[in-house]
Amino acid sequence: MEQVLFRHNRPDRSVTFEEYCAEGGFDALKKALTAMTPDEVQQTVIDSGLRGRGGAGFPTGKKWSFVPRNLPGPRWLICNGDEMEPGTYKDRVLLEKNPFSLIEGVTLASYALGVRHAFIFLRRDYETAAANLQAGIDAAKKAGLLGERILGTEFSCDIDLHLSAGRYICGEETALINALEGKRPNPRQKPPFPAVKGLWGGPTVVNNVETLANVPAIIANGAAWFKGLARNPEGAGTKLFCVSGSVVNPVCIELPIGTPLREIIDQACGGLKPGKKFKACIPGGASTQFLSEAHLDVPMDFDPVVKVGSRLGSGAIIVFDEGHCLVEATLNLIKFFARESCGWCTPCREGLQFVKEILERIERGGGEERDLDLLRDHTRFLSYAFCAFAPGAMSPLDGLLANFEDEVREHITRKRCPLKG
Amino acid sequence: MISEQLKKSLQQRVETAITPREAAVDVMKELQRHYGWLTDEAVGEAGELLGLSPLQVEELATFYEKIYRRPVTGKLIQVCDSISCWSGCCDGIIEHLKKRLDVELGGSSADGKFTLVPCCCLGRCGDAPVMVIGETFYGNLTPEKVDQILEKER
Amino acid sequence: MPKLIIDDIEVEVPAGTSVLEAARSVGITIPHFCYHPALAIAAACRLCAVKMLDGPVKGIQMSCALPAQDGMVVSTTDPDALKMRKLVIEWLMINHPHDCPVCDEGGECLLQDFTIAGGHGIRRYQGKKRTHVNQYLGEGIYHEMNRCIQCYRCVRFYQEYAGGTDFGVTGCAGRVYFGRFDDGPLESPFSGNLVDICPTGVFTDKTGRFRARYWDYQYAPSICPHCSAGCNLSPQAYHREVIKIVARRNDEVNGWFICDRARFDKSDLNDPLRPRQALVDGSPVEWEAALNALATRLREFVQSHGADSLALVGSTRLSLEAGILLAELAARYKGVRLCYFIDPAEAQLSLSKVEWVPAGMAASQAELREADFIAILPCDLMEESPMIALAIRQAFVKGAKVYLVAPHLTALNLERLPFQVQVVPELADVPLGEAKRGIVVAGAGFADLKGLEAVPTGVKFVLLQPGPNSFGAALLAREYRAVPLREAIASGKVKGILALETDLPEELRQGLTFFAAADWRNNGAAEPASVFLPTSAWAETGGTWINYEGRAQRYRQAYKTGLPLRGLPARYYGSQEAEPPAHPPRVHRAVAPGGDTRSAWMLVAELIFKLTGEPAAEPYAGKWAPLKHIDPEGPGMRLPAELLAG
Ligand SMILES: Cc1cc2nc3c(=O)[nH]c(=O)nc-3n(C[C@H](O)[C@H](O)[C@H](O)COP(=O)(O)O)c2cc1C
Ligand code: SF4
Ligand code: SF4
Ligand code: SF4
Ligand code: FES
Ligand code: FES
Repeated sequence: MEQVLFRHNRPDRSVTFEEYCAEGGFDALKKALTAMTPDEVQQTVIDSGLRGRGGAGFPTGKKWSFVPRNLPGPRWLICNGDEMEPGTYKDRVLLEKNPFSLIEGVTLASYALGVRHAFIFLRRDYETAAANLQAGIDAAKKAGLLGERILGTEFSCDIDLHLSAGRYICGEETALINALEGKRPNPRQKPPFPAVKGLWGGPTVVNNVETLANVPAIIANGAAWFKGLARNPEGAGTKLFCVSGSVVNPVCIELPIGTPLREIIDQACGGLKPGKKFKACIPGGASTQFLSEAHLDVPMDFDPVVKVGSRLGSGAIIVFDEGHCLVEATLNLIKFFARESCGWCTPCREGLQFVKEILERIERGGGEERDLDLLRDHTRFLSYAFCAFAPGAMSPLDGLLANFEDEVREHITRKRCPLKG
Repeated sequence: MISEQLKKSLQQRVETAITPREAAVDVMKELQRHYGWLTDEAVGEAGELLGLSPLQVEELATFYEKIYRRPVTGKLIQVCDSISCWSGCCDGIIEHLKKRLDVELGGSSADGKFTLVPCCCLGRCGDAPVMVIGETFYGNLTPEKVDQILEKER
Repeated sequence: MPKLIIDDIEVEVPAGTSVLEAARSVGITIPHFCYHPALAIAAACRLCAVKMLDGPVKGIQMSCALPAQDGMVVSTTDPDALKMRKLVIEWLMINHPHDCPVCDEGGECLLQDFTIAGGHGIRRYQGKKRTHVNQYLGEGIYHEMNRCIQCYRCVRFYQEYAGGTDFGVTGCAGRVYFGRFDDGPLESPFSGNLVDICPTGVFTDKTGRFRARYWDYQYAPSICPHCSAGCNLSPQAYHREVIKIVARRNDEVNGWFICDRARFDKSDLNDPLRPRQALVDGSPVEWEAALNALATRLREFVQSHGADSLALVGSTRLSLEAGILLAELAARYKGVRLCYFIDPAEAQLSLSKVEWVPAGMAASQAELREADFIAILPCDLMEESPMIALAIRQAFVKGAKVYLVAPHLTALNLERLPFQVQVVPELADVPLGEAKRGIVVAGAGFADLKGLEAVPTGVKFVLLQPGPNSFGAALLAREYRAVPLREAIASGKVKGILALETDLPEELRQGLTFFAAADWRNNGAAEPASVFLPTSAWAETGGTWINYEGRAQRYRQAYKTGLPLRGLPARYYGSQEAEPPAHPPRVHRAVAPGGDTRSAWMLVAELIFKLTGEPAAEPYAGKWAPLKHIDPEGPGMRLPAELLAG
């Protein structure tokens, strides 16, 4: 299987700067700086069909093209490495194995966007990844691949590493901008979108770690090559899938985008743990809908997963077996979201507390039939929250009611959790 | 009180920032490293370094999960209670830790060696259930393994 | 100008108007909590949901954050919108105490109103409520965090609008908390506005808590008496006691806010020692008898000493109406000394400030908020006129350059200013030539008007004055050729004084053969006066004051003068000895105890009638006629050029 992001990986350590360079690393940067205009770099990324790996799947090149070209004053690039969505650990694995693809990708994106100063925002508890990145940045700088007049050209670029102190909402791009500015990381009202008015009021692009780490290979090998990597016709590139839960071998693995979910679980992860039977899975991190057995053949790409009622999200697959109570699983997720809400808007701050109370009651055996409607109201009306956090928080509940309503009902009619004695 | 040396290095961090506020999280984390948690004194010192009032530092400090405004005694044990770890039965691990250390969540053990808190996903979900003591991560926890780890870390 | 349809009504509004404001302009109130016209949009409460039926955006939208656009068709009554709004209330009520009857906000609470309006009545949430610990925030404001609905208005006001740093929001998720780092008085001199701006009962006015309900209050549009800025406010009285004072909106002047002095300093009005009894030679008499005595003694005095031995003295806190009538009284006695000022220097300065600023070149607080260059001449703004500083802050936040001209940097309280200044030694160092909307600000004490001559044309002025009606007093003094009292006394002739709402320094009473006074303030004038007449205070009568910019503003009577029911002396209960009973006296009287007073202008009018047998003339006649119709609820009236011109 062709490896793009994991191409340079060593089994149990990080690739060194020399090894990365020897294997063609930074060639894309050299190519771009010497033979391509910024617009050509952006066009190649547009043509490649690369979609954001941070969860929303927005076409990356298109996002870059929203930045007004002729505004005076600085513009910014932020690499989003907040990765606090439960189940997700792909960016950590990527950075612990190889910080250089990202460094090169950030530099390439900065070149395309005319950015002088880029930030990489990393979550707390990724200290190894952070050390790796800092060492990588220093090495690149020393080799003239970062800093003033890169490779002797007119282009200069610096990368600053910013380490957070832990809050899931910091991953939301406008909250992230506030976090970087040292303000309370509440999201900002959109519009204006960051591409127009972001960090310190300047045009700002926010991209995920994995997204940017893909850019060097795209520049080196071309858009068509990247498109050809996908398993499904509408897809482009590979995708990191990080699996957890009831599988034999919970791995973070790079596979062609569009690889069927079943294949990932059965082949890459060795199937369910001995004696366990598949019940459900979350395909893209905590803020995506549960899928059931019936959905296992879905190609893991953005649009197909939406078609079956969920989202590819971050590509974090969490597998549940018949021994897991999905009401309790949902309750766990809701508790996470209720704790992590930024507290800005009413639906999220208070609605999640309400949902938590209802699910707790159902799980305890105190649920009532009308609770189902009340829960549905919440899945519907939390989408009118201030940011995408609250609708995301409702996704698992939405999936629970769509695919596992019987299980919820059983709790209510039997007045207890059927899985608890 | 922080050392002149720490103060200097933090001042330097603030000076190299694009705006002083940008360095707020770094400053708070460094002070927390120094004191074990972000004490009232540390809040005041952070404010002085950053040109903010204590309240303005508090506004930031209390937003983040991993800035602690309550005493942390000894080593900090954070146990993940998010979904992948839940599926791997972190509830049992948390109960076990509470019993072993004879503490409630948020409390410190009588010998002052550990403080136990639950935390959000640590980004090591493949190794669920997971905890971190100080800066060391431990995965695939079982009650037996927890006992060994506590022994080692004590 | 986008055109849209809201609930079948066609609306056309200026570009940039939100759908919520557009609806408001045609009388539709969309429920809202976090929206406040003076603050940046937060879109946090999500209560203002409407359904967009057609146009550039569709579906449920927050009307406060949505700019009106052509072709929008908005429904505020769509079932989905109603359901969203109902849920928002239900969410907020999850944690809210259900005890409006013991909440001081009850009756004037947005949450209460919209909870009732939305029909929320049945509790479906069965869990526990979240609770918070309150903080001590000083003697002005009581804190009850459990009543918070997290609309973020307070912190947006306190930090963004007013520049305070000791109050804000901490925590996250359901734990957000609005308070200080630790217990202690709020530092901002604008903190009292939290009472007005919080839609619920988190911040209530400690100086008037649990004294009365909103519907009990007698109140009226009024003006702040504490400085020359002329901020609009509304005293709220109950049983003849001012319980609370709240800000009143005037977009041209103070906007939505007032300073803490205006709000909390009610001591003059509520002073238990306020003179309320007419006195002749120290003995209580009926008002009418005292007025007769005054007329007789005045007449006798003039007969025996001559009119030029008498001074009729008004002040910079006297209403314009009373000032005009005082001049009419003076006109009846040729040679009488008419005074509106005590100090010659102050009189001179007030007048030169009035004359310095050509018509239209005085800047209002609204203009200050929009200025791009501001030069402040040495003064302690936070002491003198805090609201002027608050207006400057709004300009500063929008990017205005603010300079402080300070030859010596002593005692200027720089760190208290809610904005940053660049200190320059001289006015000439401020590049006012670059200004598009430049303004020079000077305190009441600033006297070097000559120094302003170099200011480029087009730059406007804020020249503060000491009293709420100094500007008016200066106009009167010029018009009627009044002399400052000290100057009159220095001539050696003055042997008698009638002081009308004037704080006379004691030494000026020395050596007089006749002294009479009329006032509502406890300033020591009643005792030495041979005739004393109590007047009604500003909040108890109507009148007009002219602020520093030459804006005449009318205030109305909020309540009738009288001894507050609370603390009424025992004699009003029929017995001097008995403990006052818990119930008001059951004695029928037409006038409340201590309420036998007149407003100063009426007193002068009656005196004129007593002395001449003819009724006093209408004050708003002749030159003053343009001021006759000023709407107390409007923006006030900038004096027309002919009134300003000498
Ligand atoms: C609550 C919330 C949390 C998010 N967390 C992350 C995150 O940890 N990492 C990330 O890349 N994107 C995250 N996103 C998405 C970002 O807002 C943004 O869309 C993304 O970083 C854009 O990068 P991409 O276009 O490369 O995907 C989050 C969004 C929301 C609403
Ligand atoms: S939905 Fe509202 S409360 Fe939740 S994270 Fe977004 S802004 Fe904050
Ligand atoms: S804040 Fe309003 S709704 Fe709440 S108790 Fe007070 S009056 Fe009632
Ligand atoms: S204290 Fe009042 S103004 Fe502040 S957030 Fe709470 S409800 Fe809003
Ligand atoms: S859920 Fe526990 S580490 Fe991710
Ligand atoms: S008023 Fe619009 S969201 Fe609060």
